[in-house]
Amino acid sequence: MKGKDIFPVLVIGGGVAGIGAALAMADAGRRVHLVEKGFTLGGQVAKLDKLYPTDHCAFCPLWTDIKRLREHPLITTHCHAEVKELDKAKTGFHAVVVRKAAFIDESRCVFCGKCLKECQENAIVSQGAHVYPPSYRVDTEICTRCGRCVPVCPTGAIDFQRTDETFDLTCEHVVWAAGFTEFDLTPHPEFGVGSHPDIMTSLEFEEWTAEGGINKGKMVRKSNRSLPRAIAFIQCAGARDQRLLPYCSAVCCMHALKQARWVKRRNPSVHCVIFYTDLRTVGRDYYEYSLRDLGVNGVRLIRGRPSLIYPLPGGEGIAVRFENTMTQKREIWKFDMVVLNGNLSPSPVGAEREKGDLPSLTAEGFVNGEGDDISRLACGFTREPADVAESVIQASAMAMKTLSANREW
Amino acid sequence: MAKTGIFLCRCFGAINGAVDLDALREKLGKIDSTITVSVHDSLCLEENINTTASLIRNTGMEKVLIGACSFLARGEAVVNGLVQEGVERSAIGLVDLREACAWIHANDPANATLKAYDLIRMEIAALGYRQKSRDVAVRVRPEALVVGGGPAGLSAAAALARLGLRVHLLERGASLGGMLNLISRVYPSDEKAQDKIRALTKEIGKNELIRVYPKGKITAVAGYAGDFKVRFSSSSGEERIRVGAVILATGARIYLPDGLYGYGKLKNVITQMELERQFVRGAVHTKGAVFIQCVGARNLERPYCATLCCPASLKNAMRIKDEKPDAEVFVLHRDIMMPGRVLEAYYRKALAKGVQFIRYEEARPPQILGDDGVEGVAVHDVITGVTRNLKVDLAVLSTPLVPNNDNKHLADRFGVQLDHHGFFKEIYPLHPLETRVEGVFICGSARWPVSSEQAMTQGEGAAVKAASLLGRERVRALSLSRVPGEKLGHASVNEKSCTGCGNCVAVCPFAACALQKVGRKFISRVNKMRCQGCGNCVSACPNGTIQLPEHDYRAVGAMIKYAFS
Repeated sequence: MKGKDIFPVLVIGGGVAGIGAALAMADAGRRVHLVEKGFTLGGQVAKLDKLYPTDHCAFCPLWTDIKRLREHPLITTHCHAEVKELDKAKTGFHAVVVRKAAFIDESRCVFCGKCLKECQENAIVSQGAHVYPPSYRVDTEICTRCGRCVPVCPTGAIDFQRTDETFDLTCEHVVWAAGFTEFDLTPHPEFGVGSHPDIMTSLEFEEWTAEGGINKGKMVRKSNRSLPRAIAFIQCAGARDQRLLPYCSAVCCMHALKQARWVKRRNPSVHCVIFYTDLRTVGRDYYEYSLRDLGVNGVRLIRGRPSLIYPLPGGEGIAVRFENTMTQKREIWKFDMVVLNGNLSPSPVGAEREKGDLPSLTAEGFVNGEGDDISRLACGFTREPADVAESVIQASAMAMKTLSANREW
Repeated sequence: MAKTGIFLCRCFGAINGAVDLDALREKLGKIDSTITVSVHDSLCLEENINTTASLIRNTGMEKVLIGACSFLARGEAVVNGLVQEGVERSAIGLVDLREACAWIHANDPANATLKAYDLIRMEIAALGYRQKSRDVAVRVRPEALVVGGGPAGLSAAAALARLGLRVHLLERGASLGGMLNLISRVYPSDEKAQDKIRALTKEIGKNELIRVYPKGKITAVAGYAGDFKVRFSSSSGEERIRVGAVILATGARIYLPDGLYGYGKLKNVITQMELERQFVRGAVHTKGAVFIQCVGARNLERPYCATLCCPASLKNAMRIKDEKPDAEVFVLHRDIMMPGRVLEAYYRKALAKGVQFIRYEEARPPQILGDDGVEGVAVHDVITGVTRNLKVDLAVLSTPLVPNNDNKHLADRFGVQLDHHGFFKEIYPLHPLETRVEGVFICGSARWPVSSEQAMTQGEGAAVKAASLLGRERVRALSLSRVPGEKLGHASVNEKSCTGCGNCVAVCPFAACALQKVGRKFISRVNKMRCQGCGNCVSACPNGTIQLPEHDYRAVGAMIKYAFS
């Protein structure tokens, strides 16, 4: 491979956008360092139960890409790591990366489960149902460092003497792919977050109902574990709202249609109502997806933004007050569960940074791709609300920009 | 019988807690073909793989059987480690003794041991018939063909040329720029479309690596990733080129709403594109205009949203408002499709400029009033429940993009798929620019209607995918894998027994099988560069002629025979 003298590219974020960018660059012969804040790769998509519009399991296709990434000779991945410093340098950028100590060495953990049995605090947790090869990690917040698990590990994978590792990195470009986080709606009482266990955000709902999750795909209420009779999906919760998030999060209409479809598919008796403003179904097969939901699956759509969501006395059900803007009727309906959709905001970039240059951000916190050198290369939700396909397309385009800037061919 | 060495893993007690490995060793040692049976604490750790590999080399084993954990757990590490040490992949069999025996039957050790024995015997039986696919390699032609000279194709060609790769750019029409030639400005930047074309073509024109063929039409395609042989006609005559990769960026066509809303009959009922043309020529004369969205889209005939009609209407509505602040401008829509940050802000801008939005229902479309021109528009506003008469003299019909007529022709030539609308289809959403044929990529509105800006992004994305193939000197068939590592193998045909029935051709999702005339009969030939080793053809073949050597039917037969004997 040519271009050994050329500095690598630093990718910040290991979700679909980061993975896509790293693979595209490395396949074209560029060295890449990928820094991911979480323990595992895959980002938010890895947590999804199903992907629209194919209705396929989200993880399987993602997993093959993660595996290719991990085995790629030109890519170095740093999970559970953060960029502590970032400065412009003569050749590009100088970064200081801190990789948090992993008390269990992933490469030596054989997933035998001996440490799990020994631990009194339940501090040994699996990396996740979808992580292959499977391994354990220590939940550092619960762990008391008692050390009982160390001698029982047959491969000597556990070591509490390990410390955080800091290293310098000189890179030519920085690609931002930090993805999104959930915007906290708790301070806004009209959404009812926290007032009833059955009011949850769509990502919580996804986790709650996932086939690989705690309920193994069974549809139950959080409050009393019974089958809900009616579920309300509230679109634009916090989004397209000048007080909170002024933009449209782009992915939530399809996300709600998908969740409602899967609720109906597994439990035809549950009534699903989606409260929407505009049903934005712009991608391939998206509109037909919504038609199928409305026609065959019997999901109900109501155009209107609920003004108040509150638990009914005694905890039996949740009231949703809304105006159906198509019939101009004001109503209050009772639901067993409420799913809030749309409260997605770009992950803060540079917040954990101790010093160095920051990328230029838009007022809403997105990395401004039209901005200066440091923020020029941004892809996925960190640049603009985007779904999986759009994120990967942007990632490839960013990869092209790192290649065309210099000819290592 | 092939000399087989058996390695069993205790996994530090995780396996031998339930499976009695000592009994298993004794029983397996009695099989004729077995030369050694050894039990280890762990086979997967790096230091143990070396010792296992040297043991295999020194004892002259022909087949190796590993009894350890599942392939998805650490089993793969053992197999890959051994392959790296030089052991032949098809000679290694892996049996899952941990998840499939010890853990799931933890309460029934006797049967767990019995199951382990059976699984190992079945794998030994299969190992005798496992073979290896013959690999082929081709020299990669470091050139690309880009079909289509619109924004997607131009940005793809420019990007490839920037990397020093030779590009053949085929354009259907006489000039470059595609649909940008038809419009006045682009959203959301409000740049002039002509400036955009100039910026794109400037780079194309001065770069000697790019050769443009106007009036091009592809007639025949052969070959595979790394070496496509393409024949086409162009204004300079018949051409034959050989390229390593192909990017399809042929764009889409505008739907003409004949018969809808009096289009063609009433004066001043025009399409979005006709309005654009008026803007290109000069100002638009109107005292009040109405934009009708979803004309011929999101209905039963075309059940999709074409992405760019809403932003395009907003762009032109705002322009009319800017030029004639007194004119009332209405957008009649069914859902205003402005997803994301930039477009939502664009929508807010339109609202601030005084563009009025009225929502109508599909069942009650707006009515154009007037006998030979637009005298007004009646629309039932679903939000207020009131039917309104809008005083306008111009009705702009916002129509969707529809697939090009020659998409089918191109798809057949290249073996790529179209979706049921007629747009080019990607392999799956996580790989949105790749098709089922390796080396053929799609971008722009040929794939799905997109704005010029998105088309250019996709063009660059497709270029990087093509570049990663073109950057290689040679490409091996087994390395063209969509899954990590190498392909499992590729199908091979026994030419003597093939009857040429064509079943394999019909079921192949990668267009790798084709019938070829040899002498007086037809036989199936598998293109190894395209085959992904899925095995669909194997199950469709009526007489076992087509086989994946790694999963030979005799291997499966031997396993079944043991299991039921």
